[in-house]
Amino acid sequence: MKNDSFICIDNVSMWYPAKGNRVFSGEKRYVKAVDGVSINMDRGEILGIIGESGCGKSTLGRILARLENPTSGDVYIEGESTGNLLKKDPKAFRRLVQIVFQNPYDSFTPRDTIEEILMRPLNIHSIGKDKDERKKIILEALESGGLHPAEEIARRYPHELSGGQLQRISILRAMLVEPKFVIADEPVSMLDVSVRAEIINMLLKLSREKDAAVIFISHDISLTRYISDKVAVMYLGRIVEYGEADEVISNPRHPYTQALISNCGSIDPDEIMDKIKVEGEPPTPINPGPGCYFASRCFKASKECFKEYPATHDVGGGHKVACDRLY
Amino acid sequence: MIRTIVNDKQLLFGILGLIFLLLVAVLAPVIAPEDPYYYGPDVLNKLGENGHLLGTNKMGQDIFSMIIHGTRTSLKVAVISAFISGILGMLIGGVAGYFGGQVDRAISEFINIFMMLPTFFLILLIIALFGNSIYNVMVVIGITTWPSNAKLMRAQALSLRERTFVKAATAMGESRLQILFKYIIPNGVFPVIANTTVGMSNAILTEAGLSFLGLGDPNIISWGQMIYDGKAYLTSAWWIATFAGIAIVITVTIFYLLGDGLNHVMNPKRSKGKGV
Repeated sequence: MKNDSFICIDNVSMWYPAKGNRVFSGEKRYVKAVDGVSINMDRGEILGIIGESGCGKSTLGRILARLENPTSGDVYIEGESTGNLLKKDPKAFRRLVQIVFQNPYDSFTPRDTIEEILMRPLNIHSIGKDKDERKKIILEALESGGLHPAEEIARRYPHELSGGQLQRISILRAMLVEPKFVIADEPVSMLDVSVRAEIINMLLKLSREKDAAVIFISHDISLTRYISDKVAVMYLGRIVEYGEADEVISNPRHPYTQALISNCGSIDPDEIMDKIKVEGEPPTPINPGPGCYFASRCFKASKECFKEYPATHDVGGGHKVACDRLY
Repeated sequence: MIRTIVNDKQLLFGILGLIFLLLVAVLAPVIAPEDPYYYGPDVLNKLGENGHLLGTNKMGQDIFSMIIHGTRTSLKVAVISAFISGILGMLIGGVAGYFGGQVDRAISEFINIFMMLPTFFLILLIIALFGNSIYNVMVVIGITTWPSNAKLMRAQALSLRERTFVKAATAMGESRLQILFKYIIPNGVFPVIANTTVGMSNAILTEAGLSFLGLGDPNIISWGQMIYDGKAYLTSAWWIATFAGIAIVITVTIFYLLGDGLNHVMNPKRSKGKGV
């Protein structure tokens, strides 16, 4: 399914062999962390991926950055497989795709100062002519990221800075190499609410300047709606709903999305909320199914839902839903 | 820094002891009243006789001077063999833990084989085959004691490779060797350093043991050699072997305290509520 989209995620799966495989029956069991995900993205597009914990969002992020190789399927950037790109020229690929991690406190080696840390990518990718020019680039980046005074911050060690400052530096580091594709894996979930907005805005500003496509992985629905162009909802390794952000959030069609959004708290205490109750734990990702993975918790489920995984239906305007009981 | 050292009594005594040993080794010609290689006329003198503080041996050498000069041998053996062992262990363990997969499995089995070997007999064999110069002894001790360091480094590397900053470095385009030397080894080397220091005391003991069996370097004054020479005179001239033995005990204790103290300081979890 190669096509001319800027980024084409084609049927990507990540199956980890499960512990306790039965030796005698020969039956192999897998944890299907990501199971057949296909999405297309345009240049400069911001895609939000939402879903509860354990649904495979972060695994998908790591596959996109090729920190792990998918067990099947592939990701194409401008029609070329990222696996091939990485094999052909690892440095060029790493410049093209960058990832920002969830935990800013662990994103830097504790033994180096911020300047030394930011110097590494510049040295590796030969950005800037000499040490002085590189230092200037670093200081400018720090200033532009709202880290004042830059000279002072550059001399500090990671443990001397706050989580918000560290996450800014983490984003700045990713942006120093001018990537065309940025994966932000819950970049603000470990930070104080008061600094989240600034950091998100900084990420968006930088990626817009460089015209980079962004995948924003989060479990925060309102935040994702605020920043993304498109939204994909994941459940147990599969995309269950995909479409324009406003459309998906205001008019969710998949029962899981509906339940997720109805349970999303509002700051207005007077707002009458009709929560959809979801019973039970999500089934284990070890051989789920047959049938719709959500069926056992779904309020709309019928007998058919337990038989076969539902087809994906286009409900108009590129809004796709993987559910057979839409009406 | 200084407060941590003072707070941990083991480390404090270890460091003070190490400074003492280094001073003795450096100032040996000044401290020692006689040249230890000088075969004087005073044969088998008792303690204090003819100005020989700890007596003399059958060749008329001054025991006190020999012990002072023996410090150099012991420290040299300790430092060089532990250094070889530490470097080997760090590299092999780091590669195994960080690269993982088949490489790890192969190296781990290799480490296990080495751990199964009776080290001392291996050393005996190599010395018997290749001769007993002091440098042979050092190298042999080094290349037979690295597996414990390798196991420690491998465990560190296994946990470090899952850390975010290592993944970030990968995503940043650093090569595997760059990551190994820049992130894995510097952040995981502390237990290896502590273990190496304890290994130093074992190296001293091993060298003394070899000398005691007559496999030491006969051209160099070492404490083990002195015990070997003195054991025939144990009933008539006990001081020849005894003081060399005491010197070994003191030196080994110092390195042990140092290693254990370093271990406490670098693994804060282990030292909680453990007063020494």
